[in-house]
Amino acid sequence: MAEVIKFTLDGREVEAAPDESIWDVAKREGTTIPHLCHGDAPSYRPDGNCRACMVEIKGERTLAASCIRRPSAGMVVNVRGARPEKARRMVMEMLVADQPPRDRARDKSSRLWNMADMQGVLESRFPKVETDRVPLLDDSHLAMTVNLDACIHCNLCVRACREVQVNDVIGMAGRGRDAKIVFDMNDPMGDSTCVACGECVQACPTGALMPAAAVAADRTGDGGDYDREVASVCPYCGVGCQLSFKIKDERIVRVDGADGPANQNRLCVKGRFGFDYISHPHRLTAPLIRRADAPPKGLNVDPADPWTHFREATWDEALDAAANGLARLRDAHGGRSVAGFGSAKCSNEEAYIFQKIVRAGFGHNNVDHCTRLCHASSVAALMENVGSGAVTATFNEIENADCAIMIGCNPLENHPVAATYFKQFAKRGGKLIVMDPRGQGMARHASHMLQFRPGSDVAMLNAIMHAIVEEDLYDHQYVQAMTEGFEAMKTHLEGFAPEKMSEICGIAPETLRDVARTFARAKAGMIFWGMGVSQHVHGTDNSRCLISLALMCGHVGRPGAGLHPLRGQNNVQGASDAGLIPMVLPDYQPVAQGPVRDLFKDLWGTEIDPEPGLTVVEIVDEISAGRIKGLYVLGENPAMSDPDVGHARAGLAKLECLVVQDIFLTETANFADVILPAAAWPEKRGTVTNTNRQVQMGRPAVAGPGQTRADWWIANEIAKRLGLDWGYAHPRDIFNEMKASMKSLDNITWERLEAQNAVTYPSLSPEDPGQPIVFGDAFPRAGGRAKFTPARIVPPAETPDAEFPFILTTGRQLEHWHTGSMTRRADILDWAEPEASASLHPKTLRKLGVAPGETLRVETRRGAIETMARADRAVAEDMVFIPFAYVEAAANVLTNPQLDPYGKIPEFKFAACRVAKGGKGDAGAVAAE
Amino acid sequence: MIESIEGKRGLPRHRPPYVAQVGVFGRPTLVHNVETLHWVARVCREGPGCLNAAERNGRKGLRSYSVSGRVKTPGVRLLPAGSTIADLIEACGGMADGHAFKAYQPGGPSSGILPAAMSDIPLDFDALQPHGSFIGSAAVVVLSDKDSVRDAALNMLRFFEDESCGQCTPCRVGCEKAVKLMQADTWDRTLLTELCETMIDASICGLGQAAPNPILLTMKHFSGEV
Repeated sequence: MAEVIKFTLDGREVEAAPDESIWDVAKREGTTIPHLCHGDAPSYRPDGNCRACMVEIKGERTLAASCIRRPSAGMVVNVRGARPEKARRMVMEMLVADQPPRDRARDKSSRLWNMADMQGVLESRFPKVETDRVPLLDDSHLAMTVNLDACIHCNLCVRACREVQVNDVIGMAGRGRDAKIVFDMNDPMGDSTCVACGECVQACPTGALMPAAAVAADRTGDGGDYDREVASVCPYCGVGCQLSFKIKDERIVRVDGADGPANQNRLCVKGRFGFDYISHPHRLTAPLIRRADAPPKGLNVDPADPWTHFREATWDEALDAAANGLARLRDAHGGRSVAGFGSAKCSNEEAYIFQKIVRAGFGHNNVDHCTRLCHASSVAALMENVGSGAVTATFNEIENADCAIMIGCNPLENHPVAATYFKQFAKRGGKLIVMDPRGQGMARHASHMLQFRPGSDVAMLNAIMHAIVEEDLYDHQYVQAMTEGFEAMKTHLEGFAPEKMSEICGIAPETLRDVARTFARAKAGMIFWGMGVSQHVHGTDNSRCLISLALMCGHVGRPGAGLHPLRGQNNVQGASDAGLIPMVLPDYQPVAQGPVRDLFKDLWGTEIDPEPGLTVVEIVDEISAGRIKGLYVLGENPAMSDPDVGHARAGLAKLECLVVQDIFLTETANFADVILPAAAWPEKRGTVTNTNRQVQMGRPAVAGPGQTRADWWIANEIAKRLGLDWGYAHPRDIFNEMKASMKSLDNITWERLEAQNAVTYPSLSPEDPGQPIVFGDAFPRAGGRAKFTPARIVPPAETPDAEFPFILTTGRQLEHWHTGSMTRRADILDWAEPEASASLHPKTLRKLGVAPGETLRVETRRGAIETMARADRAVAEDMVFIPFAYVEAAANVLTNPQLDPYGKIPEFKFAACRVAKGGKGDAGAVAAE
Repeated sequence: MIESIEGKRGLPRHRPPYVAQVGVFGRPTLVHNVETLHWVARVCREGPGCLNAAERNGRKGLRSYSVSGRVKTPGVRLLPAGSTIADLIEACGGMADGHAFKAYQPGGPSSGILPAAMSDIPLDFDALQPHGSFIGSAAVVVLSDKDSVRDAALNMLRFFEDESCGQCTPCRVGCEKAVKLMQADTWDRTLLTELCETMIDASICGLGQAAPNPILLTMKHFSGEV
């Protein structure tokens, strides 16, 4: 029982917990003491600088700032009273003196004006500060305006930038009355290293920092100018930030972070400023059917003018055309002639109904989604050795860790809000070990940066484990009580001495040993990984090593310890859980197991094919071979996201019936026979599951444009026309059916999610918010033990040679999501990162005779693209990095489709390529076929 | 200073906790000025008599007074800690020729301004407090009949405006507003008084809390000038 402090507040005896300030207690007791620099928000420490919250403490010479002062036993505190009230009003009067007039406020609804109202201080008797001492407007950033004439120096933005998001861009420069906030070295915001997370805008109490969209041409603004707000979840990455859509005139005018379990009010640039894609003119607003006189199928449709290839149809006509097209193939060639690609961007209910359509409607398991392209190998290794494909601990558990390994992940760009917690961890002294062939941004926060040779993960990780075993640093008790296969592992590791592996992985043996000691001796360690680990032909082996490393150190199943593959898409966890995987039914129940099939036969009233289905790349191969003739694609874009995309596109062109359901006319929809216009995420209702196993409720903010419909509704209509009438009238109906076969949803009901927004699974009771850490007692494997699976060194499928001497690796950027269909249609994101590029080391560029900004030609055995050259010292001298969001220079024209044998994931992270000065114009033909 | 040692901006800390409990890098810390360290060394070497043998006006010890202004020979004078302004002027060779003693700053701008009539107060700890002043840095300025106390007070507030770190509102904005108000032909005494009260009550550190002293003492003792 925590100590309780009794003190007197305005004549009443009250109680405080040891970590509560006077301000907190007053608020709890019903008095909001005026506050400006105190954010009263999670992660913001009070700073006590504005002095708007002064209170009187009996026996003290001066007043005290209540936000920062903790009460002590017997203290007599007066919030009310002439002296404190006068001081608080005088502070407001001083600040109001230099504000732009109320009717011309930068933010009419700012906290400053609310607090001024509260105390009746609307005017000031003080003379204004000299005009030439007031900083001028900085409108250099498209997303935010900086109006320092409204700044009160409360430094909330500095705390937002340095302590909460840890971006270290905003600082306070100068002294006294002329101190001011600056970006970097007093640069204009738009020229600074600002990553536009907008945390400062959300924190600012005056309108000095405002979303540009909320400021009029005359620089007046009103952050409170909206009609209603809707609580929902961000549709971008797997972090699953909760957010609040602010809606005016049925448009989303502003997005604020909400206090979700994963994000505590934080957002990144995409989640805050990336929602105008939903009103982009390219939105599909009516069902389309390919015209009889359309040119041959190819990547040849202008999304702004699809009428050369498509004609508008009614919903009935389009749904009939889609369902009948697929049904005809089924009836003529058998169910296996039709396959389905579902989406990790849609809801759990939509993933579930989609896999059910393929399984029940076509009688096989050839249904997959982009998890295949991201963490399939991680899941394979986790299922094999831990018995569960999900994370063993939430990423927020890093709060309780003292050491963390981050390998093959780039959270600063791909999981920006998770990265804020990682940076905070490093800032408070946690040992952060970053392993990446690219010298990415987390390196700045790392205690150890291991920039190893691409593809040498197994050699490096085995060497580290060798040192742990050799130096007897492993957790004997844990290994004995919780694991199996350690003796074989020990023997296997004998051949991987750091001194021997150093040559292969390019990391000095002392460093490998230091990392081994640091991680093994940590009290609680976590391992995070991303696509850099999984997207290799040895992706499963890479993950096996990471699992073994955590197990031998006993870093699983405790606070601050665990395995966490950072999931990419907003709902890749949920879509996988819902059975959008060819080998397993919902909750990873293998189709190959009779009792599992019996369960679903009972539930669905239909036979389940016992043969595990084909994966994404295998389905594309079957299409190319002519054996699969029909494809139903819901919200995926294989014409951009598949490896060797030239091959994938050629396959799509051969399909007799391609039904694409999406919000835009994607590259894949170019090849479609029927296009069904879907509602975007902020336009529909459904649940999603983030990387932390948190099931969260998404709610519609606005209605979809034109005739768009929610994906579950469209899928249900297709199902009906395939003779499957399941009678779903609401996503809730689908969710309730899912619960019948998914133990993971025990104690998680639709109503509970409606009321609480998020519940983590497993949830042990109707009241349990869910377990952030699992497998403390036992693993969900036969015998309850986790397993060591030794991994041997497998070289990348295609190694550099004289003809193709460079290593090509692909990935993402902060501003762009996946294939870019949403983010490249969001103004601010497109402004921040408008052009395709390839990053090379400046030395390499100089050798090639290419200046940054010039055109570069990158070629592999699969194809060639031309793109802008970018100098980046983070890239090794023999490497090329290309983000895959850009259709005009699609990285996946180049990538190698070779698969990991277990996870069936392609090797996006390694291909041999050659690079030359471009601009001759011949690569464009290759890229566009 | 502790903030600077820790590599942060040089801003005063909130108290409590006091630096003796939580100081540099979170450790209990003893902060001394150079004068104290000087005396510690001498006391250790020569014994306590070197400091406490001096006695004047019932007060023990010595203090280095830095005297400037309208005296014949300005400079630092090591005198008994109980010395009065009259003693200091005498130690500096008396008033400069043609100048009559009018007012003085007892110890730095924070101590404000006292009239010549109050020349019998020992310039020591606690003795000045009842008069709204304190010994502070013992930087004494002597003003004469040729000087405007009003101008001197304005100069002091300009100094505070310049020296304010800018952390808290009462000091940052208060000093700037005070300078503007003090330039008016006639001071707005009501507003200045209210402002001073809040600066004293609500500033984080001694600088902002003491900055009003020149204003308040000028209004009290030299009301004719403002």
